[in-house]
Amino acid sequence: MEAPPVTMMPVTGGTINMMEYLLQGSVLDHSLESLIHRLRGLCDNMEPETFLDHEMVFLLKGQQASPFVLRARRSMDRTGAPWHLRYLGQPEMGDKNRHALVRNCVDIATSENLTDFLMEMGFRMDHEFVAKGHLFRKGIMKIVVYKIFRILVPGNTDSTEALSLSYLVELSVVAPAGQDMVSDDMRNFAEQLKPLVHLEKIDPKRLM
Amino acid sequence: MQREEKQLDASLDALLSQVADLKNSLGSFIYKLENEYDRLTWPSVLDSFALLSGQLNTLNKVLKHEKTPLFRNQVIIPLVLSPDRDEDLMRQTEGRVPVFSHEVVPDHLRTKPDPEVEEQEKQLTTDAARIGADAAQKQIQSLNKMCSNLLEKISKEERESESGGLRPNKQTFNPADTNALVAAVAFGKGLSNWRPSGSSGPGQPGQPGAGTILSGASGLQQVQMAGAPSQQQPMLSGVQMAQAGQPGKMPSGIKTNIKSASMHPYQR
Repeated sequence: MEAPPVTMMPVTGGTINMMEYLLQGSVLDHSLESLIHRLRGLCDNMEPETFLDHEMVFLLKGQQASPFVLRARRSMDRTGAPWHLRYLGQPEMGDKNRHALVRNCVDIATSENLTDFLMEMGFRMDHEFVAKGHLFRKGIMKIVVYKIFRILVPGNTDSTEALSLSYLVELSVVAPAGQDMVSDDMRNFAEQLKPLVHLEKIDPKRLM
Repeated sequence: MQREEKQLDASLDALLSQVADLKNSLGSFIYKLENEYDRLTWPSVLDSFALLSGQLNTLNKVLKHEKTPLFRNQVIIPLVLSPDRDEDLMRQTEGRVPVFSHEVVPDHLRTKPDPEVEEQEKQLTTDAARIGADAAQKQIQSLNKMCSNLLEKISKEERESESGGLRPNKQTFNPADTNALVAAVAFGKGLSNWRPSGSSGPGQPGQPGAGTILSGASGLQQVQMAGAPSQQQPMLSGVQMAQAGQPGKMPSGIKTNIKSASMHPYQR
């Protein structure tokens, strides 16, 4: 069910073969303000954007050992915004020259009955969380600084508690497959955020 | 002769301006000490001292300059001493010396140092002569070496403390938190209250009508609802088909239940 590593395949077209390049780090709550100021200076000049999202992760267990994962996200503070469905593949590891985590990525906007549809398809919700934070852009790079809140009562997004005393910082680019120079640009940008945040590629499999 | 005179004049002018600067800075330093002593900070005092030392240095340089004749060879002899006020002298000395009389002259034209100072200087020269040239050289070298060592240590400390002092004070991120957050986003570690980690099977007590029993296998457990209302059947049909094809893979404890359900997948 997982797509083969896409960078090996020729780029035949369009939207399916998009890769997400990712660098992650975190910043403690008390240093958030300085990070926000620095990002406002470094990133494109726009009104600071905050967001409050509720993300649900759905699993489809098939005969294979690894389940198929889909992520559904809805905005809790913007009424009328579409739901966002995302597929993220396994990260392609092993290439030391690539400075960012690379994985296959498919993004779709959907209507509000997404969860019902997924349930009907056989997906089951694995976990959910609320993400609250800030969004910045610089060219094609997207920088998100957000706090993860655990949902105490499933389905009830009002009863939440923060998962940790830090904000997660993610620098990501969604680009067609094969453009590895993107990771160099990302690394240069990450250098400018040191020593406040250390953005690096973190292999999730290491943390299991 | 002319050249020497010109040189003398030029060097005297230079010396005069240097001494005037020195006097001014000394005066301002004294003023600062006397009037602002409660607000004075050590760096400000250091600044004044640095200024004075700089000016003394330039004074020395001017004196050592090759164009200055040896002042030692010049002699100043008072020609006329009078107890009357001298306006010219007043003007030139900024009002400090009104009268060029026999009281003023010995103090101002003195060339010999004070007796105590002369004693000390004589003492020092005899001590220096007593040590001997080699020992003196060795002492000079060791002093130089110690000074350079000390300077190196200080500069290293300063460099290290600048970067090291910031780190413990401003810990802006916690690597453990980074890992926890990445794990939470990647596969839900720590996000579900009813499960210790994300790697075990899903548990959804909130699911409508499912009433599943938690185990490591999967949602195929829902098959146990053989007596459940029929609207569940279409939902589970896909699951049941797969399972009918491979009954041998189910755990033995549930086999009996499943057999009864899978025999007639589409019957009520």
